[in-house]
Parts: sequence; C-alpha cells; structure tokens
Amino acid sequence: MSDVRTAVGPKGILRQGWSASVGDYAIAGGWVLRGKALVVGDSAGGVCAFDGTSGASTWAQPETHDGGLLAMAIHPGGAAFATAGQDGRVLIRDVAEGRVTQAIDVGDGWVEHMAWSPDGRWLAASCSRRVHAYGADGREAWRSGDHPSTVSAIAWSGAGELATACYGRVTFFDASTGERRQKLEWKGSLVSMALSPDGDVVACGSQDNSVHFWRRSTEEDSMMSGYTGKPSALTFDHTGTLLATGGGEDVTVWSFQGDGPEGTRPGVLELHVEPVTTLAFARRGMRLASAARDNAVVVWSLQKDGTGGPIGAAILGDMGTKLCWRPDGHALAALDARGGVTVWRTG
Amino acid sequence: MMNTPQKVPVSILTGFLGSGKTTLLNRILSEEHGKRIAVIENEYGEVGIDQALVINADEEIFEMSNGCICCTVRGDLIRVLGNLMKRRDKFDYVLVETTGLADPGPVAQTFFMDDEIRAEFSLDGIVTLVDAAHIEQQLGRSDESTEQIAFADVLVLNKTDLVNDEAIDRLEARLREMNRMARVVRSEKANVPVDTVLNLGAFDLDQVLERRPTFLEPEYPFEWTGVYALDSGRYELSLAEGPDPAMSLVVVSDQSPDDAALRESAEWCVRRYAEPAEPIQPGETIPVGKHVNLQLDSPGRKSFFLEVEAPVQVGLYAQHTAEEFDLQLMNAEGAAIGPEAERTWVAQHEHDDEVGSIAIERDGDVDPDRLNAWLGTLLRERGVDIFRMKGFISLAGESRRFVFQGVHMLFDGQPELQWGDRPRRNQLVFIGRNLDEDSMRQGFEACLM
Repeated sequence: MSDVRTAVGPKGILRQGWSASVGDYAIAGGWVLRGKALVVGDSAGGVCAFDGTSGASTWAQPETHDGGLLAMAIHPGGAAFATAGQDGRVLIRDVAEGRVTQAIDVGDGWVEHMAWSPDGRWLAASCSRRVHAYGADGREAWRSGDHPSTVSAIAWSGAGELATACYGRVTFFDASTGERRQKLEWKGSLVSMALSPDGDVVACGSQDNSVHFWRRSTEEDSMMSGYTGKPSALTFDHTGTLLATGGGEDVTVWSFQGDGPEGTRPGVLELHVEPVTTLAFARRGMRLASAARDNAVVVWSLQKDGTGGPIGAAILGDMGTKLCWRPDGHALAALDARGGVTVWRTG
Repeated sequence: MMNTPQKVPVSILTGFLGSGKTTLLNRILSEEHGKRIAVIENEYGEVGIDQALVINADEEIFEMSNGCICCTVRGDLIRVLGNLMKRRDKFDYVLVETTGLADPGPVAQTFFMDDEIRAEFSLDGIVTLVDAAHIEQQLGRSDESTEQIAFADVLVLNKTDLVNDEAIDRLEARLREMNRMARVVRSEKANVPVDTVLNLGAFDLDQVLERRPTFLEPEYPFEWTGVYALDSGRYELSLAEGPDPAMSLVVVSDQSPDDAALRESAEWCVRRYAEPAEPIQPGETIPVGKHVNLQLDSPGRKSFFLEVEAPVQVGLYAQHTAEEFDLQLMNAEGAAIGPEAERTWVAQHEHDDEVGSIAIERDGDVDPDRLNAWLGTLLRERGVDIFRMKGFISLAGESRRFVFQGVHMLFDGQPELQWGDRPRRNQLVFIGRNLDEDSMRQGFEACLM
C-alpha cells in the first residue's frame, strides 16, 4: 500500500511534518513562542498545545468554554493568548501551561471575534452588537454602543485604531478612548473584513457574493462582483499589494499595484473543486495557502499582478478550517473540521 | 472520501404572540423522542432546557444593495446555524421559533440563498400556529399574519376550545383557500402529536397528496348539475327566491348521466362560462349550449322555458345548487320531473383574501426549454408575489421525476425518483398574492410537448 500513501501524501513544497488531533471541530489556533509551539481550540471548548517540531502534546485543557469555543487571539509577544466562547467570556492564558490568568465576562451573548492590537496593549472582543477593548490586565478600557447588527468582523488598523464590520457598516474606533473616528456605509451584510497593512484599504466580503472595499483616505469605494459564493475568506499579503479572496471554488487575487484593482482583471487560482474556506499569506514572499470544502490544501506562488500557480498541495481528513504559517515561513499548519491538526515543513 | 453528510432538518415555528408557539415548543422538547434538538429563539420565553440547547438570538434581517426582496436573509440564523454545524454530530434537529411579527420570507430564503447553510441544513417545514379566536382580526390588520399562513406547511389551528365549531369550520375553509398546500391540524392547548410538526419532509408533494387526494381537484364556476330525460315539448324551469339576484346556467343537450360524461361536459361548460352571459328574463326561453344569466330579482317564483324538439337527455349546469333556489323542472301539464342524475362540483370560491393558492395538474411531458423560459419570466415578473411553490414535473427525455420547490424568485429543483411504470404527469402548486390563475395555467400548458 506504500504507493497509495505516496499518492495522497503532500506534494511540491509541502513535506511531511507531523499530525495530531483535538476533541472536536478545530475552530481556531496559532503559533506561539516564535513558532516553537502551536495552540489549537476546538468547537467543544477544548484547548491544546503541541510542540512545534515534534507535534507532541504539551498540555490540554478540556471544555473551557461552556457551549463551545468561538475565537482565539495570540498576543503579539507570543507568550500569552486569549480564547472566547458561547459562554460570553474571554480567557487570557499563558502559553506554557494554558493556565487562565484573566477571566473576563464580556456579556450575555456569544463572543465571536477577538484580536490583540499590534503593540499588544489592547485586546478587542465583540459580543452581539458591541465591541469591548480590554487592557492586558483584563480591565475594560471602553465599550462601543450598539452596532446596527451583530458585529461580524473586527481588525486593528495599526496600533491606534480598531475597525468593526457589521450589516451595512464599517466603523473605526480610537484604540484608547473608543471614540468613533470614521464610519463607512454600504447597504449589504458584511461577513468578513481585511485591512491593508498601511490601514488605508478596507475590504469586506458581502453576503450578496461580492467584495466591497473603501480607500479611507479618499472615502472612495468599489465593488468586486462575480463571485459564486459569499467571500468569507479574504486576506492581504504583508506588503498590501495583493488581496486574496474566497467566495466560490476559485481563489481570486486582486492586485493593488499601480492604479489597481479598479479596472483590472484579478488573478484567478483554479484547483479547488469545492468552495474555499480559508486563506493565509506567508509572512514573507508571495506565498498563499488555501483550504476548501474539498479537503484540499494548496500553496500558491503569486506574482505582483495577482496571477500565480500551485507549488504544493495536500489532502486533509476533512474540510480545512484554518491555516497558520509559522512566523519564519518554513512550516504551515492546517486545522480541519474533524479535529485534525496537520503541520507540513515547507521548502 | 467526499461523502455527502445528511443535512440537518430545520423546522420554523411562526405565529402571532399568544398563538401558542412556546407551549408547542415546550411540548416538543418534553416529549421522549430521543432526538438532540437545538432551539434558536427570537422570542424570549420559558423553554425547558433539559434536552435541548437553547440559543437566544435577535432577529437580524439583512437586505442587499440590489434591493431584491428575495435576497433578504436572516443574519442571525446564518450566524447561529453556521456555528451549530461545527458540532453537527451533536444535533439531530433544529427548531427556530420566530417572533410573532416575523416575515417568514427571509427565514425560508436563508436556506436557499446562503451556500454554507444550504450545504448543511434543509428546511424541513414551516409550522404556523393560529389563535383561532383572534386570527380573523389579525388577518385584517397585518401582512405578517397573512404571510405566515401563506408560507406554512402545517397550520395548527390552536385554542379551538374558545371558538364554536361553525366558526372553526369557516376559519379552516378560509385558511385552506389561502394555502392549499398546508396540512391543517386543530388543537386546544397546542396538544398536537410531535410528528405533525417535526420531520415533515414538507417538500414531498406525494405526502401532501396522500393526505388530501382532492387537493388538486379542479374548481368549477358552477356548483350543481342535474340530468333530465325529456320528451319533446315545452318545459318550465321554476325558481324560488334565493341568495342572489341572478344565476348563471348552461344547458347541455345529449347529456349522458355517467360521471365521465358529466366531467367531459363540465370542461366544455367551463369554456361556455368564460363567455359573456346572455341575460334571460322570466317568461323567456333558455337557449341550449349558451351561457345564460337567469334574472331573479323580481319577487316570488320565476319561470323560464325550455323547448325540446325530440326526446333527449339534457344537463343543467347551474351556478348554484338546486336547493338554493328550489329549482324545479315541470312538463306542460305542470308535473314535476325528477333528475336522472345529479352531481355537485367543487365551486370556485370567491377570493376575499388577496392571498390564494393555484394548483396545476396536467398529464404528459414538458419541454425543458419552454418550461425554463416560462418559469424564468414568471418568477422575474411575479416572484415578489409568489410566496411559495412546489411540485413535480415530467421533463421530456428525463427518466426521473423532476421535483422542485421555491420561495419568491428562488427556485431549487432536481431529478428524483424514476418514473418507472407510473403515469408521467405534472403537479405544481403556487401560493401567492393576486396571482392570475388563467394566465399561469395557459403559460404552463404552452410548455407541454
């Protein structure tokens, strides 16, 4: 059977690393300790840590959020992280043992989105129609008023500003005061959001199978349509040149070089046979990883105009739910819907 | 490797505040059915939580920039169901309890419009609870209650103990007129068997037909037919005062009294009835084979006449039953003649409600291109007013039955069971507002091979 194993093994730049599993649907995760360990949360509320090189389990905390875990955010310093769940709580933990150092009661609703500010000073968490900002000590700095609908995405624009997306609106808040700085409106249900690294471009996937984006400096906006599904996965590369989007079986890559992407043709990466579920750019180089409902993971090498081709691929035991490049770019972790955790070394 | 997991069925409970949704929900949850049920509640109520996960979520209606009402979805359901599917193995069933004023359209559309929800869940059915004592007032006042009735797969007529039987019968008839697709169940304190509201397989039209085989029985513009054997001579048709100042009639010559012949003539009479009626005053002679309108507004009994040249059986296709006007046929000697045969027809109701159902049933195969063009135009032009549709179609060149369902402009269909030896035919049901039945029928008929 050895040839069968070869047939389904990783291809191209993806080389066998290690694999492990968690208790339920692996919903969130990330590299900690500069890539020395990987923490993974599952939908039942369990949190596990694995040694980055061997995959050995270093600690596991079962069912830490009543009802299930929904989000995880790794502190930029890499020594702490936070989890949030259906119980309306945020738990800040240390990486070494997963011990809870701060427990925060956010609200009665689900805490679905969470993000640390790039300087590590603030933790933002959304619960129902509000977003809250906490200091590293767990004390609440401010909370927003009610948004028009449940907050669907949050992101930091540099260290000083937090963005939220919801039905019909993107809002920017001052990080330390919570004062509203800018409101961008468009009638549509925004399901995902990505900010360019310089903070000027806000891109949102919309329920009506389009990507809407604004340039904050000019408040000009554009809509990219033609998707076959809703673009719930979208991400900028670290230079802000490329915006990769899901929304169907193809990965569509818009290039912001020159006057683009308005009036340009996007790069279309065709290989998946089911809708794309998640996307991640490596920190360096123009490498993009994509996962889809077809259980495949593909690594693409891209040009600055958004075109590109596959340079590696592998098959998971179920649909990929999250992809995490190790900070040095030499390993890629994939989480899947069956609780699988797979790490490949990359050339 | 790419297995298609069983979709999780979802039932929607709608109904005005006070109609008994929470009582029904508690009843379902307390029953021993061995199912793990997740409940999404938009209305905060007292729900037993022993056996179920209850998630409270505010109703969030998301419209799209294109302004199309069919693209309007329920963001709260997408969010909550999207998360429930990540623990799919834990749930066998999902129940959504909407607020009393909820528009069922976006709820149903969510299961068509959102690709991720569509991949994991199937809309099993919409159950609408009706407060028998108050629904008539509500129907007059709010579009929501009308639409909740129009969208239902099951109508639970609740609190029947508070209303007399006659009023219940009248109410049921009215609701059926609005939604002929739904099963109607009566209850006092929402005490209906759980299997009437769960696992409906609501889109299986066969089940609907099995429950009520007369569901697609055509309606006629006349209620009664009497067949009389007459010798040559002059006959008097005598009518007493009745409910209306006039009555339409078609007299058919050579009418044989068997049912097949009656049905055949009935179809012919439908076309006559579609023609303008000739008013006939008392004392005048009724022409044979023509749509006439007997003028009955003068007081007392009125007489009209029939001239028969040779012995014949005639069929009288009357707008109302013989009893209503005490209709009698007498020979020249004044002796009453009894009919050889009588038959009543399902009368076309007067559509007081704007919302109604149209059922089309035809034998034979349909040309797929013509069907596509017809449905495309129909849904584009009238989709806003079509709340729901379902049915099956015999597509030419397809060995399987094509089954479809839809909400507003959204249409979903696929070939299902093999036709095998069964006769190939088409059945379509539309529920909507102010639908033009004749043009829809003609439109479909033009698609037949």
